[in-house]
Amino acid sequence: MLVAWATPPSQRKEVHKFIRLLTFGFSLLLLAFTTLMFLESYSGISWMAIGLNNYAYDNCPDTELLKQGACSLVGGFGVSWHVGVDGLSFPMVWLTTLLVPVSMLVEWDAKKGAYFHSLLLIMEGALIGVFVSLDLFVFYVFWELALIPMFFLILLWGGPDRKYAAQKFFIYTFTASVVMLLGILVMYYFTYTPYWEGNLTGRSFDATVMTNNMLTSSAPFLGGFGMQKAVFLLLLLGFAAKMPSVPVHTWLPDAHVEAPTAGSMLLAGVMLKMGAYGFIRIAVTILPEATVHFQWLLIVLGMVSLVYGSLVCLGQTNLKRMVAYSSISHMGLIFLGVATMQPIGIAGAIFMMLAHGIISPHLFAVAGAFKHHYKTLEIGSMRGIAKFSPWLSGHMMTAWMGSLGLPLLAGFVAELAIMVAFWLAFGWWVILPALTLIITAAYYLWSIQRTIFEGGDEGELPESLGDEEPRDITWHENYGMFILAFFSVLLGILPFIFFDMMAGYADGFFGEAAHSLLEILNSLEVKP
Amino acid sequence: MSALTLLADPNTAMVLLPEFTLVVGIVLMILVPNIGNGTFRLPIPNTNIRLPYLLGGERFALTSSPRVPGIIGVVTLLFSISLSLWSQASTPFTDYNVWCITTSGEAYSSCLGMTESTLLRVDGFSRLLEIVFYGALMLTGVATWSRVPATPRNLIHAEKLIGRHEDDRIQQLLDNRRQVDFHLLLLMVALGMSVVALAQDLFVLFVGLELASLAIYVLVAFMKEESAGPEAGMKYFIVGSVSSAIGLYGLSLLYLWNGSLEISSLAAGWAAMESNDPLALVGLAFVLVVIGFKVSAAPFHLATPDAYAGAPAPISGMLATASKAMGFVVLLRVLITITMPESGSAFWVGTIGIIAAVSMTWGNLGALSSDNPKRMLAYSSVAHAGYLLAAVAALGVNSSRGGDHDISQLIVAAMLFHLVVLVLFKLGAFLVITMLETEGRGSRIEDLYGLAKREPLIALAMIVFMLSLAGVPPLSGFLSKLLLVSGVVDASVHHTMTFEDGVIAAARSLHWVFWLALLVFLNSALSLFYYLRVGWVMFFEEPPTKRRMAYAPFLRIAIMCCLLGTVAFGIGPLADHLITLVSNAAEAFLQT
Repeated sequence: MLVAWATPPSQRKEVHKFIRLLTFGFSLLLLAFTTLMFLESYSGISWMAIGLNNYAYDNCPDTELLKQGACSLVGGFGVSWHVGVDGLSFPMVWLTTLLVPVSMLVEWDAKKGAYFHSLLLIMEGALIGVFVSLDLFVFYVFWELALIPMFFLILLWGGPDRKYAAQKFFIYTFTASVVMLLGILVMYYFTYTPYWEGNLTGRSFDATVMTNNMLTSSAPFLGGFGMQKAVFLLLLLGFAAKMPSVPVHTWLPDAHVEAPTAGSMLLAGVMLKMGAYGFIRIAVTILPEATVHFQWLLIVLGMVSLVYGSLVCLGQTNLKRMVAYSSISHMGLIFLGVATMQPIGIAGAIFMMLAHGIISPHLFAVAGAFKHHYKTLEIGSMRGIAKFSPWLSGHMMTAWMGSLGLPLLAGFVAELAIMVAFWLAFGWWVILPALTLIITAAYYLWSIQRTIFEGGDEGELPESLGDEEPRDITWHENYGMFILAFFSVLLGILPFIFFDMMAGYADGFFGEAAHSLLEILNSLEVKP
Repeated sequence: MSALTLLADPNTAMVLLPEFTLVVGIVLMILVPNIGNGTFRLPIPNTNIRLPYLLGGERFALTSSPRVPGIIGVVTLLFSISLSLWSQASTPFTDYNVWCITTSGEAYSSCLGMTESTLLRVDGFSRLLEIVFYGALMLTGVATWSRVPATPRNLIHAEKLIGRHEDDRIQQLLDNRRQVDFHLLLLMVALGMSVVALAQDLFVLFVGLELASLAIYVLVAFMKEESAGPEAGMKYFIVGSVSSAIGLYGLSLLYLWNGSLEISSLAAGWAAMESNDPLALVGLAFVLVVIGFKVSAAPFHLATPDAYAGAPAPISGMLATASKAMGFVVLLRVLITITMPESGSAFWVGTIGIIAAVSMTWGNLGALSSDNPKRMLAYSSVAHAGYLLAAVAALGVNSSRGGDHDISQLIVAAMLFHLVVLVLFKLGAFLVITMLETEGRGSRIEDLYGLAKREPLIALAMIVFMLSLAGVPPLSGFLSKLLLVSGVVDASVHHTMTFEDGVIAAARSLHWVFWLALLVFLNSALSLFYYLRVGWVMFFEEPPTKRRMAYAPFLRIAIMCCLLGTVAFGIGPLADHLITLVSNAAEAFLQT
C-alpha cells in the first residue's frame, strides 16, 4: 500500500497493475497453503478427531501452562497469543483464502487502483485472524480490524449512496462490537489465573481457559446462572447484529447494494459468517446452559429472519438488495440450526456457513456482472438475456438454484441437516421452516424466469444500456464464477469432505459438554 | 537551607542531577544569547584597559541567533530526561532506588527512620512522572520551533501581525528575546513540575506548583498578536490564581491543624485523628479546589476550554498532558498518601465520585457541541480527568474495605499508564493542530477539512490519535481505559458481590463505584462520535487549499514518533513492558 501511495501519478497505472498481480498471487499462495493443511495426507491431521477445546496447529495446547502465562502477548493483564483451528474454524479459514483471490479475479478488469487490492488483502488477514485466534482480546482486535477495510471499500468504490451506507455499516457494527466487548470483559473478569510475575489483574482473556473452567471447575461458572444469562444476551446482541439477524439487520441491504462487487462477495461470504462463528465459538461453547435456556429466543430470531427475509425478497426489484435479503434469511437458518442443540444441527449450521459462503459470493458475482455489462440491477428491466449472455445466464441459474437449495448443490445439504435436526428436537414444528423454503424458491424462480427466459425471440434490453451491444461476461468473471460453481457442486455431491470435520467438531462439542447439557436436556423433558 | 548546602553533599548532587541540569539550562539560556564583546573599563586611573567579560556589547552572531534558545531548551530537556532514565536503568522505577533529601540538604539512600524532616524524595514514582513531564515539554519545545519560529518570516500570517524593525540586527535581537521568553518559561515549568513530583512537604509542593503555574499563565498568553491569546491568558490566570489562593489557604489551615506540612507528619496526624476534625476537613476541601482546577475537573474546569482555544497549540497540549499529570500527582499525594491510611474510611469518596461522573459527562457533551478543534480537545481533556477521578474514587473505596494491596497497585498503575500514553496521543493531536496553526488556521473545524488530501501521513496520524483517545483497540488508549475500568470493577466487586440470586440481586450488592466504571464505558462510546467526526472531515471534505503544509521537519518527526508510540504501546511486548514499569512505580508510590 505504501508503494502505491508513493508512486508518482504518471507511472501509477503500471505500478497498480503490478500490485494487483502481486496481491492476487499472494492470496493464491495462501489458498494453496490452506488446502495443503486440509489434505490429511499432507498435514497429517485427522480433522474429524478434534473435539472440544482441542485444536490443530495450536501454539499453546496446555491449558494449565496458559493459566500461568505461557504464550502471553500483553502479560500485564492476561492477553495471550493463542491460535489454533478446529472443525469449526478451519472451513472458514479455507473459505476466506478461497474467496479473496476469486473476488479479485472477478473484479480484475474494473479499474480500481492499487489500494483496492491491498485493502482486500488486509481484510483477508483480519478475517483469518478472527477465525484462528483463541484469545478473546486478540479476537476482538481482529474483529474490529476487519471492519475498517470494508468501510473504506464501500466508501471509496461504492455506488451512488455509499456515504450513507458506509456510515450506517460502521456505526451499526461498531456499536454491536462494543456490546460484545462488554460481554467479553465480564467473562474476562471471572477468568482467574494463578498469580505470575507481571500479571496485574490476575485474569486471562483466553477462550480455552474459559471453556476449561466451564467444564471442570466446581464453583458456579461466571458466578452463577444469572450472570451467564446476562453475558449470553450481551454476546447475542453483538453477534446478531453482525450475522445479521432481524431486527438488527438494516445495515446489510444498504451496505450490499452500495458496495463494489468484490466487497459484497467478501462481506456476504465471510464477514457475516464471522458473526455466526463468534456466536458458536464464544457464546454457545462457553455458555451452553444459557444457550439451552434461551433456545426459544434463538428459534424466534431464526424464524423471523427466515420468514421476513424471504417475504421482503419477494418485493424487491433491485437484484443486489434481493440477494442481501436472501442472505438474511439463510443466516436465520443458522440460528435455527444452533438452537436445535443437536450434533447434526450444529454441524448443519456450520455447513450452512460454508455453503452460503460459496453460493452467496456467486450470487453477488452474477449481480456484479449484471451491473458491469448491463449497467443496471433492476430485475424488471430486462428479459430474455439468455440470447445475449449465455454464460451469464448459466451462472445465474447455477447460483440461484444453489441458493434455493436444489439437491446436488451445497445449499441443499445444509438445509437438509438443519431440517433433520429441527425434526429431532421439535418434531412436527419442522413444517414451518420447510414451508418458508418454498417462498425462497418462489422468488428465485420468478426472477430467473423473467430475466433469462421471457421476452420471446428478441428479448428486452434495459434502458441503461443505451445503444451498446449487450456483451457476455469476461473470462475473468467467468473463471471466478466457475470456481465458485465448481465448489458449490462439489460440496453438494461430496459434502463429507468438509462435513466430516464439522460433525467431528459437533460430536466433540456434545461429548465433552454433555455432562452438563444432557442433564439439562433431560430436565427439560421432565417439565410439565 | 540554601542551595549551596544542597550542592555540598555529593550524593544530593548526583541524585538530583536532572533537576540541576534544568537549572544549568536556565542559566545558559539567560547567558548564552548575551555573549558578546562587552568590555568594562578597569577602574585604574590613567589607564584605558578594557577587559572583555564576554557579555553584552555587540552580540556574536552565532550565539545570538534566534534559533539558539530553542535549541538550548530542548537539549536541556533531552539531557534531563536521559539522566532520569539512566538513573532508573538498573532498577526500573521500583522502590529499590530511593533517596530522601532532608532540610539540611543531605541525601539518604533510604527513607525509613528519618529523624529530620524530608523535603524531597526521589523514587520510581517521581522519576516516572518527571519523565512524563520532560517528555511532554520536550515535544512542546520541538513543536514551538515551528509554531513560534525563530525567524518569523516562516510564519506566513504572523508577518503581518508582528512588527518588523527596519534594522536587521535589532530585529534579530527582538526575535531572540521572544524565543528566550518562551523557552525559558518552558524550562521553568519543567523545574516547577520536577519539584512537584519530588516533594515530600506540602509547602515545597506548593512552591513547585506555583512556579510551574505562573510560567504556564504567561505561556498561555504568549501569542499576544492575536486577540485570543491574551484573553485566554487572562482568564486562565485569574481563575488559576484564585484557585491557588484558595489552595494556599487550605494549606495554611492544615498547617494550623497539624503543625507541620510534611506529608508523613500529616498522614500520621490524619490517622491519629479520632473524629473528623473540621479544621482538617475544611483545609482538605480547599486544597481540593486547586487540585480540581489543575486537573480540569468539573466544576473547576470552566477556564479550560477558553485557555486551550486561545493558547498556542503546543502549550495547550502541554496543559492537557503535563499539567494534568502534575495535578494528579498533587491529588495522589494529598488524597491517597495523607488522608487514606491503611484502613481509613475515605470520606471524600462520594465527592470525588460525583465530580468524576459530572466531569465525564460535561466533558463529552461539551466536546460534542464544539466547533473549534482545540476546544473539543479541551473538553475531551475534562472527560479524561473524569475517567481518572473515577479510578481515584475506586482507590478510596478499596481502602475503606480493607485495602487490598493488589487492587490499589492496579489502580495506581492504570492511572500512571493513562498519564504516560496520554502524552503520546493527546499531545500528538495538538501537534497536528500546531501544523495547521503555522499557516494561521486551526481554530475552526473547517480547517481540518480535507487534510488527508493535503498531507495524508499527518491525517493518518490524527485519526490514529482520535481513535486512541476514544479507546479503540489495539491502540494504547484502549489499553489504558481497560486497565482503569478493570481496576474500578475490581475495587467495587471485591469480596462483596453476590451472584447466585440472579442479576438484579447481584446488581444491588455492587458498590456504587461499579456504576462509575459503566459510565466510563458509555462515555467512551459516546466520545467516539466527536472523535470520528474529525476523521470523517479530514477524509471526506474538500480542503480550503490544495497546497502542502509548511515543511517543519522536526514537528513532523515529533508527530510520527507520537504515532508510533500510540500504536506500539497498545498491544505486544512494548505494552507489556510499560505495564511492568508503571506497576513498579505504583508499588514505589504505595510504599510511602
